[in-house]
Amino acid sequence: MVASKLIITPNSPIPGHLIKEVQSKFAYVDESIIRAEIAPEGDAIVLYLRQPVSAMQRADLEAKVQRVVSSMIQGGVRPKVEVLEDYLDRPLPYHQDPNIELIERAELSQETEGVFSLGPLVTRLIDYFESRFVELANSFDARPYRFPALIPASFLGRVNYFRAFPHSLTFATHLREDLDIIDRFSQKAYCDEEGNLNASNDEMFAKVKTLLSPAVCYHLYLSLADQPLTVGNLVATAVGNCFRYEAINLTSLERLWNFTMREVIFVGPKDFVLENREIARQRMNHIFNEIGLAYRVESANDPFFIGEFRKQVAFQSAFQLKYEIRASLPFKGSTLAVGSYNYHQDFFGRHLNITLPDGSPAHTGCVAFGLERIAYAYLAQYGLDSHRWPTSIREAI
Amino acid sequence: MERELNSTLEGRIQSILADALQISPNLITPDLAFGDLPQWDSMGHMEVMMRLEEHFGIEITADTIAQLTSIPAIRQYLTQMAQMKE
Repeated sequence: MVASKLIITPNSPIPGHLIKEVQSKFAYVDESIIRAEIAPEGDAIVLYLRQPVSAMQRADLEAKVQRVVSSMIQGGVRPKVEVLEDYLDRPLPYHQDPNIELIERAELSQETEGVFSLGPLVTRLIDYFESRFVELANSFDARPYRFPALIPASFLGRVNYFRAFPHSLTFATHLREDLDIIDRFSQKAYCDEEGNLNASNDEMFAKVKTLLSPAVCYHLYLSLADQPLTVGNLVATAVGNCFRYEAINLTSLERLWNFTMREVIFVGPKDFVLENREIARQRMNHIFNEIGLAYRVESANDPFFIGEFRKQVAFQSAFQLKYEIRASLPFKGSTLAVGSYNYHQDFFGRHLNITLPDGSPAHTGCVAFGLERIAYAYLAQYGLDSHRWPTSIREAI
Repeated sequence: MERELNSTLEGRIQSILADALQISPNLITPDLAFGDLPQWDSMGHMEVMMRLEEHFGIEITADTIAQLTSIPAIRQYLTQMAQMKE
């Protein structure tokens, strides 16, 4: 519940192309922030707060907000937006927010922030999209893999993940192997009304050595690390749970803390990776057109944290490393990223010592699809009643 | 004269790269390219671009950032920019 509102004038106006990115970072500025908005002109920031703030707290909040803004906008190169496909003007039969109907029909049940269980209709729709993504993987004769939900902290450290995305990490730990601690925990632990687990102290928990995995393809790179890729190149595929904490940005199926991603992953020389990424895009173009998805493919950047944001975004843009599949959400006149075509250059090859037969570092790339998001976008475009759906999907489901 | 200019430019590029990548100037060879040293990674590259902009008073576009991936490419680009200013 909003208890107070704070309006801040940024030291420099926020350029239009950065408003969404900057706004999303305010979620991590302070725990008292419930919601943040930036005026369309970029000259005012409104923070909605859980409780009234003192003059000192206000000054502290303002300083943090100004730090976020200045580090993200000053000296930034305006990213080049390249549109590879545009089918956003496809006529669509549904223009309402599907959330209301999804909840009414018990197709969507929230367990906690950013964590949902899904009902039969959404599950079948996800299974259908999965079958199409597996069809793409099979067209490359991709090797199937199964990866765990946990990933070693040492791996994420090695690929600079802590520096680039500290805000979205989810840590996994356990009670220390100590009978007294386990006994004490079992007797005293409880959850309060806000869902917080209260144990007697944090020292009960072991040091963090594992996290919940933020991406599927990382596990493949980890399995290939510190050895030559004797086969010269590799195409792999896997589906798995991914975890990216997004604080107050977690909203419905649009932005989940725990989501499922199907990836087709390419490892090998530069040309092999880039050519296959392009072939994958063309094959998906046919599939998306067949199912009638309204979408656009355009250049994009990853949600780097403020310290690395400007440089990494400019770098990704300059080298055309990432293209997002952005599906239309007609009820709000916006789009949602449901997948991406990525090229990492030899970043993982160098950092993880994955070498090609000639001794050079391997290049990597992946095509990734967010399963809950694509189902959600599809329902936002075609509604929950299957009689509005294209025949191919209706018959398959 | 031209050789002198090139030699000066070479030295300035070497110094900028050493500062930006926080490495010894001795490691900067005339043909060094992006990825040859662990420090010249994506973040290092953008640091180099920003230092070049500051030092030479130029604006490097997103398209150019992707082309300036070696010392010869940087040298050629800066020479062209200097000629255009004359």
